Amino acid sequence: MNDTYKGVIPVGHTYIRDSILEKGNIFGVTGKKSAWAKDLNLPKKAEYTFFAGCGYQLMRYAGGMMGAIKTAGKMGMGMDRMIGISKAFGKVGVDVTGIVGKVTSAGKEDPYTKVLANAVSVLRKLGVDLGYLYEDEPCCGSPLYYAGFLDEYIENAQKNYELFKSLGVKKIVGVIPACTGSLKNLYPKLVDGYDIEVKHFLEVVAEKLRDSNIRPKLKEKKVITYHDPCQLSRYLNITTEPREIISRVEGLEVREPEAMQKGEWSTCCGGGGGMEVCFPELSERLAVRRVEELLATSADIIATSCPACELQLLKGIDKVKTDIKVVDLAEILDEALEEGQLAK
Amino acid sequence: MSKDNNGLKELEKEITSGIQSCIRCRECLTMCPTYEGWATQGPYGRLMAVNLHLKYGLGSEEELSDLLFACSTCRRCLERCKRLSSGTKTTDIIVKARQYLAKRAKARGGKKKS
Repeated sequence: MNDTYKGVIPVGHTYIRDSILEKGNIFGVTGKKSAWAKDLNLPKKAEYTFFAGCGYQLMRYAGGMMGAIKTAGKMGMGMDRMIGISKAFGKVGVDVTGIVGKVTSAGKEDPYTKVLANAVSVLRKLGVDLGYLYEDEPCCGSPLYYAGFLDEYIENAQKNYELFKSLGVKKIVGVIPACTGSLKNLYPKLVDGYDIEVKHFLEVVAEKLRDSNIRPKLKEKKVITYHDPCQLSRYLNITTEPREIISRVEGLEVREPEAMQKGEWSTCCGGGGGMEVCFPELSERLAVRRVEELLATSADIIATSCPACELQLLKGIDKVKTDIKVVDLAEILDEALEEGQLAK
Repeated sequence: MSKDNNGLKELEKEITSGIQSCIRCRECLTMCPTYEGWATQGPYGRLMAVNLHLKYGLGSEEELSDLLFACSTCRRCLERCKRLSSGTKTTDIIVKARQYLAKRAKARGGKKKS
């Protein structure tokens, strides 16, 4: 194995780097990522291009990867939590790729890609002309940037821009906060002549709901609390949009966390910056803390819109042993639009 | 070594001048989710560690890497600094410091610094 970055960049991060550069996704799998869209008849070219990202499309592999990295952590040291997992990998020589391969070959039904279908369905119901690149969709490469591989990130970004241009992509709607932030904020700084308009799913939905004055309606009343993903609230400044959307949905009661734990001050779920791959225990403590904060609102459901947050919150819920549910906002919206779409 | 080292010097300058604006108020520490008592578990300590390492060679790369990668890059500290203090780009500097470490390791080509 290449040890250029030994002791400098944690092994978990170099694994993700190699996956992105070799396989074009963060989990290093070769499986088809566009399987979820096969019945949706999305055209390849449209006004807006739907950017699904690695998160939801391949999240079924994430559990396996995190599990492998955590096991390695336990085998290697377990005691000193401030030591990077990288050292543990070095000591026991764990082959992450092998373990991931084994875990994922079990072939379970995929609960995560449902969110993507929900998001597409919501946008369609709101009259957005939507396309999707299927297997051509590249990886935005944002983990490269946060793990320190700037040169690789820029190279990947330039390649992606060429690809977008050749496919005639003009406007992108992203569902994953990190990918959207990467395409919207980082690409223009690093790629010459980048002129693609990028919006997050929630921005588009809020805009469309405002313009058409549609009031989505839920059949059953739901009590939710909203967890602001850091990439949305502090990287993309999207804090009012989700609240505006929620307030428009009839039958949706929102109970906000304390002032210093929501919006631009929302607490971290522990999934950012790839810290869960090098400091799993610390990351878990953050997840537990966030879940406890959200539990204090006494809501039944945690609504959020980031796959990494969802994964972390589920982990926290598992630890705290509570039965609060984590749902993506797109799922609630899809359900609500089903009922109230015509009752303007 | 090549003269330019692939933009290493510029990156170093960007980082150290970015840290200069910090007024050491430590408001950021209470905002940091990974802060559990040690200053180096928060943005303030991370920035200081980076500064000392780049300017005076204090601390090993391994130690610095551990501090930097424990950051979740959630930007809560940056928001706090923007509103209450000097507006130092804490998170961005931490990410840049990671990039600096990677760039330097790459320029070395995997060989340990003697």
